[in-house]
Amino acid sequence: MSRFAKSPWLIHYDASSCNGCDIEVLACLTPKFDVERLGVVNTGNPKHADIFLVTGAVNEQSREVIRNIYHQLPEPKVVVAVGVCASSGGIFAECYNIAGGVDGVIPVDVYVPGCAARPEAIIDGVVQALDVLERKQKEMTALANSLDKALFQRATKADAPEILALQKIAYQSEAEIYGEDSLPAQQQTLAELEADFESVPDMAKPFGWDGPLPVPVGPAQIVFLKAVVNGKIIGSVRGYQLGDTVCLRRLSVHPYFWRRGIGRQLVRELEAAFPAAKRFEIFTGRESSRSLGHFRKLGYQEFATTQFNPKVTWVYMQKDRA
Amino acid sequence: MSPWTRLLIYLVAAPILGGLLAGWDRRITARMQSRQGPPILQPFYDVLKLWKKENVVVRRSQNYYIFFFLLFTVFTGGLFFAGADLLLVIFALTLAAIFFVLGAYKASSPYSFVGAERELIQMMAYEPMVLLTAIGMYMVTKSFHVHDIAGHGSLLIFALPGVFLGFLYTLEIKFRKSPFDLSCSHHAHQELVRGITTEFSGRSLAMIEIAHWYENVFLLAWVFLFFAAMPALGIVMSVAVFLFMIFVDNVFARLKWQAALKSAWAVTVVLGFGNILVLSLWSGKPAAPPAVVDAPSAPVMVETTTPKLAAQPLPATTTTDRRN
Repeated sequence: MSRFAKSPWLIHYDASSCNGCDIEVLACLTPKFDVERLGVVNTGNPKHADIFLVTGAVNEQSREVIRNIYHQLPEPKVVVAVGVCASSGGIFAECYNIAGGVDGVIPVDVYVPGCAARPEAIIDGVVQALDVLERKQKEMTALANSLDKALFQRATKADAPEILALQKIAYQSEAEIYGEDSLPAQQQTLAELEADFESVPDMAKPFGWDGPLPVPVGPAQIVFLKAVVNGKIIGSVRGYQLGDTVCLRRLSVHPYFWRRGIGRQLVRELEAAFPAAKRFEIFTGRESSRSLGHFRKLGYQEFATTQFNPKVTWVYMQKDRA
Repeated sequence: MSPWTRLLIYLVAAPILGGLLAGWDRRITARMQSRQGPPILQPFYDVLKLWKKENVVVRRSQNYYIFFFLLFTVFTGGLFFAGADLLLVIFALTLAAIFFVLGAYKASSPYSFVGAERELIQMMAYEPMVLLTAIGMYMVTKSFHVHDIAGHGSLLIFALPGVFLGFLYTLEIKFRKSPFDLSCSHHAHQELVRGITTEFSGRSLAMIEIAHWYENVFLLAWVFLFFAAMPALGIVMSVAVFLFMIFVDNVFARLKWQAALKSAWAVTVVLGFGNILVLSLWSGKPAAPPAVVDAPSAPVMVETTTPKLAAQPLPATTTTDRRN
């Protein structure tokens, strides 16, 4: 057994359970079952936990809370849905206020059946979760160790869901600066991102472009790149050529892989993908000192600013092809 | 043994010993609650796991404070085991704790804030007693140096029984044990989420754990200092004190911070200050240089002279009162 299997720390959240499963979860800590002999600690803090136990079906109010807790768990993490309600919605599945099982909101790794789930079943579920935890940990180290083998490839529409997920993780730090609801990158839907593969979106307009956008454009004018490590997309960027200018947009790298040259390499690959372009342009938020510094290092210089919304001011940066 | 050897042994052995003590603590606690409890090595498994986890931060800088918390805790124990000045040890200990508090403040989260504030209150509660302990040891041995105190021939406990009890009281706070586990608790009380450690995860949390191991070994070594004249007794008493801490932890519920602060200061004044007052009254008359004091006779001297001196002025005053 690895170190992960020997020290699973839990956080337990009651989504909208009848408390039957909750009492059984707590029963696991009692002298009769004593899960602490397996090293289990019931922490009340998502940042200390490895395993997320959810009981009860998800309703409209607990949906956001579950997502929030899930994001606060440090990687690697495992989600265990305890009881039929958490697994599928159970007898509440058709209720007007029920969003269904936990897997409708966050990815679930282990399902524990029962109404209420018996303590033995819950302990068994946790033990199975340990295997998942270990596997995820191995994946994490494998990813970290094979960074030099990153592949830079053209992304296709099939990659859209993964890129969207990546984009939202990567822009989390920006959202902390400007607030959750003021960044277009955080709000993008899957349909909008899929459309970005075929047509030039509004956000790809170069600075001062008044005219209508040319729709549809040729495939040579749109380049969508992804950085892949071990089959996982860890970075992406898109470029749109309008006239002589190429607009680089939505450069995103997974936070695990920051400061390791992935973003720099993506920008270089994208510039190389537009041999006819004479000028490259990007914009970023004025407060995002990290990305401003990043692009300055790549040879971009600020030339204009516009107020996007009350919270966000875009800084436009450009670079001529040497 | 030279100071450097002792320092080296402390640096290497303290985390191992501290981790084992923590595992033993959890085991005994479980047995007291009629559970089986985790393996003795559980704290090591926990720390090894935490080391591999992702480190989620609110601000990156919060981790530097935790690094310095660990560094200064190790430094504190290092000074102690190298036989340095006890006052310097106390100030280094305070500095380490302040870094911990600053780290928690840096991670601006309400739970972390409450934990940090409570940690500060706890520091206010134990700090005077810890200082008085050092002063008491100085008054007996005429030196603040741990090296001299440990080499002092007499059992300090006989001269400093009140200080020792007061020190036990502060130990309960320093060990974060139950009546005083205000800032963060190792048990499943969750009303403050995790208090001062709420916003730390992964490697930082592992560092906090390791710092506690170092700190606990250093504190138990301080208990040993009270019995340094008889090393075997010292070790037995350190272990006994540790077991007593676990016992108290399991018997008592948590106090409110007001009660914790007031009781700690009351203990400081009555036991700590009282003991030192008696010592100073007694040591005011016989001005024998401490180096000359013969090793076995010192405790006997303390035993015999203190009650007399304390008792003598009393009859005189009472008689005058009666005349009036």
